[in-house]
Order: sequence, then C-alpha cells, then structure tokens
Amino acid sequence: MFLEIKDLSVKIENKNILKSLNLNINKGEVHAIMGPNGSGKSTLANVLAGKEDYEILNGKINFKDNDLFDLNIEERAQEGMFLAFQYPVEIPGVNITPFLHSAINSKRKRMNEEEIDNLSFAKLLKSKASDLGINIDMLKRSVNTGFSGGEKKRYEILQMSILNPDLAILDETDSGLDIDALKIVTDGVNKLKTKDNSFLIITHYQKLLDYIKPDYVHVMVNGSIVKSGGSEIAAEIEKDGFQKFQ
Amino acid sequence: MNIQDNYLKNKKNIFFSDNKDIQTHRDKLINIFENDRFDKKNNESLKNINLKNFIDFKYKYLIPEETSVINNNQENSYSIVSVNGQCSSFKDDKIEITKILDEDYNDFSKNDTIENNDHFVNLNSLFLNSGFKIVIKKNNNIKIKISNIITDDNLTIFQKNNYICEEGSSLNLIEEYENKNNSTSNILNVIKLEKNSQLNHFLIQDNSPNHNLIITTHSSCKKDSTYTQKVYNFSEGYVRNFHYSELIEVNSEADLQGIFFLKDNNTSNNKTFVKHLAEDCKSNQVYKGILNDRSKATYFSNTHVDQVAQKTEGYQLSKGILLSENASYFSKPELKIYADDVKCSHGSTIGPIDENAIFYLRSRGMSKIAATKILISSFINEELSSIDNEQMSEIIQKKLVRYLSKVK
Repeated sequence: MFLEIKDLSVKIENKNILKSLNLNINKGEVHAIMGPNGSGKSTLANVLAGKEDYEILNGKINFKDNDLFDLNIEERAQEGMFLAFQYPVEIPGVNITPFLHSAINSKRKRMNEEEIDNLSFAKLLKSKASDLGINIDMLKRSVNTGFSGGEKKRYEILQMSILNPDLAILDETDSGLDIDALKIVTDGVNKLKTKDNSFLIITHYQKLLDYIKPDYVHVMVNGSIVKSGGSEIAAEIEKDGFQKFQ
Repeated sequence: MNIQDNYLKNKKNIFFSDNKDIQTHRDKLINIFENDRFDKKNNESLKNINLKNFIDFKYKYLIPEETSVINNNQENSYSIVSVNGQCSSFKDDKIEITKILDEDYNDFSKNDTIENNDHFVNLNSLFLNSGFKIVIKKNNNIKIKISNIITDDNLTIFQKNNYICEEGSSLNLIEEYENKNNSTSNILNVIKLEKNSQLNHFLIQDNSPNHNLIITTHSSCKKDSTYTQKVYNFSEGYVRNFHYSELIEVNSEADLQGIFFLKDNNTSNNKTFVKHLAEDCKSNQVYKGILNDRSKATYFSNTHVDQVAQKTEGYQLSKGILLSENASYFSKPELKIYADDVKCSHGSTIGPIDENAIFYLRSRGMSKIAATKILISSFINEELSSIDNEQMSEIIQKKLVRYLSKVK
C-alpha cells in the first residue's frame, strides 16, 4: 500500500477533529475527499504534511513503507509528499528561485541523487512556469508576496511540478480561482499524473472534479469518512448537498 | 570611588580641565551625579543596565605611543586608524583633521536636544580624554573609513568627535568598532551638515563580550542636507546606540536605521530621536533586532514636530524576532506633533519567528534550522540589499553568517 491511514484520531486544543479515520491510496490513484466546512479535511492534509499543532490520539499512517510519524515535516517532503496549501504563506524577502532550487536539491540529496546545478534548474523552472502560464518576472519575486489568490494557487502547482512528488495533497486548490485559472491549474495537475504518483484532492465542489477525474471519491463528515465510491458520489453531492451524509 | 573623587584624581589627564567655563559645567554635572536618585523607570538611559558598573569605575587612559595612521590611498578616499580615540592631524585641500578644542566642548554643552539626564553623555563630558574633529571642505565628495583600535585592557575611553560637512560636500563614512579587550568606549559624535551637504554614516559594531560600547550621535541638518545613519550591531558585549537628529532648516532629511543581532546574556539599548524644526523635512527611524538566548534590548524612537514644521514627513518602525522564550525586546515609539499639516506614523511588531512560514518552508523539504535561518535573513533582506557599498555588504554578510551559525 502506498498510503495507509488506519483508525486515525486527532485533536487540537481539546477538540477532537479526526475520529477513527481510515483511508488507503494505491500508487497511480487519484482520490478526492469532499465534505462540508469543519469536517476535518484540512486537518487531515496538515497531519499528513506533519504540522505539529495537532495531537495524535490514536492510529497509524504508513507512507511508502515508512511509519509517517517517524518522519518530521521535511523528511516527509523529501520522501515525496507534497501539500498544496489552501492558504499559501507569504514570505517577504525569500526569493522564489533560490528557495525552490534549495527545495529540489534537499529532496535529491535524500534520494542520493546528484544535485541540480543553477543553469539546469533555471531551464527547468522556466519551462514549468511557461506551462502554467506564469510570467518569468513573477519568479523574481518573494514567495507568495503580493500575489493574487489565483497566482498563489498557480505558484503552488508550479512548486509541485518542480518537486514532482509521489503523493500530492491538494487542499482546496480550487478556492478563489476563476474558471480560466482553474483550467490552467488542473491542466498542470493532469500533466503531472503518472502511474507512479498519487493525488489526494480536497474540495467542496464537484467543479474541480470535472477537470481532474478521481478514481475514488470519499465523503468526510465530522472527522470520519462516511461514504466512499466513484465519481457518482460527487454528482450526488452536487445535487443534494452534504445534508444526507450527516 | 565616587564621581567627584574619581574626577579630581584624574583631572590632569582630562581634556580642558584648566578651562574655567568647562569646569563650571563639569561641577554642575558632578552635582547631578551626587544628587540624582537614578530613576530607572523614567530614564531611558538607565534601562537594562547596571549603572553602578559605569559610574563606579576605575579610570584608566593611555595616550597612544603610536600615532594614528591616515592614508589617502585612492583619490577622495581616506583610511584612518584611530588609536584610543586619538587621531593625528592632517590637512589637504579636501579635508582637515585636528584635535577637538575647548570651543567644540562648549558647542555641545549648550545643546538641549540630548536630555540633561543622559548619564552616559554626562560622563563623556566629565571624563573627556580623546577625540578629533574632521571638516569636509566645500563641494568635495569623499569617503572615509575609520577603524577604532584600543590598545590595552581596562581602558576607559571618553571620546568626542566633531564632523562638519561644509556646503555642497558629500561624505561616505564607515566606522568600525571591533575590539577584543575589556575596555569601555563612551563616544559622542557631533555632526553638522551645512547647506546641500550629505553624509552616509555606517557603523559596524562587533566587540568581544567584555567590551562596552556607548555611542551617542547628535546630528544637525541645514537646508537641503541629508544625514543617513546605518548601524549594524553584532557585538557580544554591551552596546548603547543613542542617536539624535535635528532638522533645523527646510528640506533636510534624517534617516536613522539600525539592526542588532544579540545572543547569550547580551544587552543592547537603542534610541533614535528626530526633531523637526523647519518646514518640508523628512525623517525615517527604523530599527530591527534579532534576539537569541537570554538577550535583551530596548528601542525608544521619537519624532518631535515643532509647530513651524509644516509638511513634515516622519516615519518610525521597530521590528523584532525573538528566537528564544527567554529573550526580550522592549520597544516604545513616540510622536509629539505640534504642527497640523504633517504625515507621521509609527509601528512596532515583536514576536517569535512565524511558525506558519517555518511549516511552509519545511513542507518543501527544508530543514527547520535552514528555514529559521532563511527567515532571519529575509527579515533584514530589505536593509541588507539596500547597502550600495560592495565592501560593506560583504563585511555584513560574513558577520551575519557567523551569527546564524550559532542559531540552533
């Protein structure tokens, strides 16, 4: 199993958020998690990425034969996990290009691969940026600083395409995107999809799933997955909302 | 030993002790020390320090055996090594360097911008034993680098320097303080900018843990002149940076900036104060601090706008990163505005490093320590990238790397 979440319960500040959650993702699969506000979707994404604010009460997560809880935040990233943030953090003064260069090399180092040199990296970045319709001038700016909502999401996908993760978690990447930006971003995701990598897509709406076809759709309510199935569930939610699952 | 006895015992080594007017002024200062109750709560010069160590001190001064060196290596560029606060005389058609004179002392003692209750400035006036005066002649554009060397342990340097930038002149001044001995330097810089002159003043402070450095600057700007000061404090010993600026004629500017990097048990006290006394003047006061371990800092900033100083623009900003729960930074910005057509602002933000930013960077594969370092560098990126002197920029970068190497 590529990612196996078993009986996971998590709390933050005395509030139980995830309750005995189970989820399995195989290599090459695209899974979507849909759920109402406050159901714990982003908590799941943050726990997977290693955010330290949460208390793990119970459960186990295996990722690529590793006990995920044995890996710290950066080790998870270096092992091939990537979280596209719902609210990407602005970091003034940290330039995008050297930051991404350092990020890709930290992963290569862990994988015992040769580090990528400045020139090759610049070429790679330019070509990926061009695929996503990102202006080269934007690459001279600080991380997420002064970006519009759409630019921030596009930039998350650029990072994802550069780091080429084994498991990408997209936390409401569609929020704040107009239809054109949504198309560009989802095109970027689809280009990355191979039989060797997997996606976990968190969203409220079916719209995103019109562009990225999931193999499985899960409904998450009150910290647990209450229903799993195919794309038909997304259509069901679009029609009737989450009420019937609660 | 009390101040009076200390002064009388060492009087013969102290500048201008035979001048009656100066002696009268010094008697007043002694009186202040004898009668002051050293109210730490309301006196900014007393925060976070043990004043007793500075008042109850053993006076020791050595007249340097080697005279200072002044090199005029490149055209319009001078390199000066000041030894125990002294500098030999020099003159050419662009600059003139002399010892300070009685009149320079008087000039300062009449100044009312620096409060009378600044005990360190009072100590400087009382025990004055060194200093020099540099005049940049009319319409010249020059660079000066001053390395301040102290020759022995336990010296008490009380130094007063006067800088005069004559009309239309421009001075790029770099002062380096890098002393490894257990001495105390109490330095007062008095700077006068005549019409249409400019001074870019860089101070690099990097002393060892047992060296105390107290620097006070008073600058005054006439019409169309600009004083810019940038302080980089990497010292492991106590540093006090108190800098005052007066904009006395129209269209003059003062820009007082500083960054301090503290660790261990070190303390730094900082203050900037700009008085707007004429129309159409601008000022900027920005201090940033990075504090690790159990270090402490204070920063007081003040913009005073006189009622005649219409169209003033005055900005203040203070920012601090606390890298440890035991570090502390107290910042107090103040505005006193007596004119009605002004643009002024002040702000202060101090806190630990942004955990969300750390998480974001780590989630891309960067280690926690690398993420912390990159965020510290980005915190001061604007100030570092604005240094247009390549040599300066390199020096600061090296010191920053050294500081960051100790951040765990």
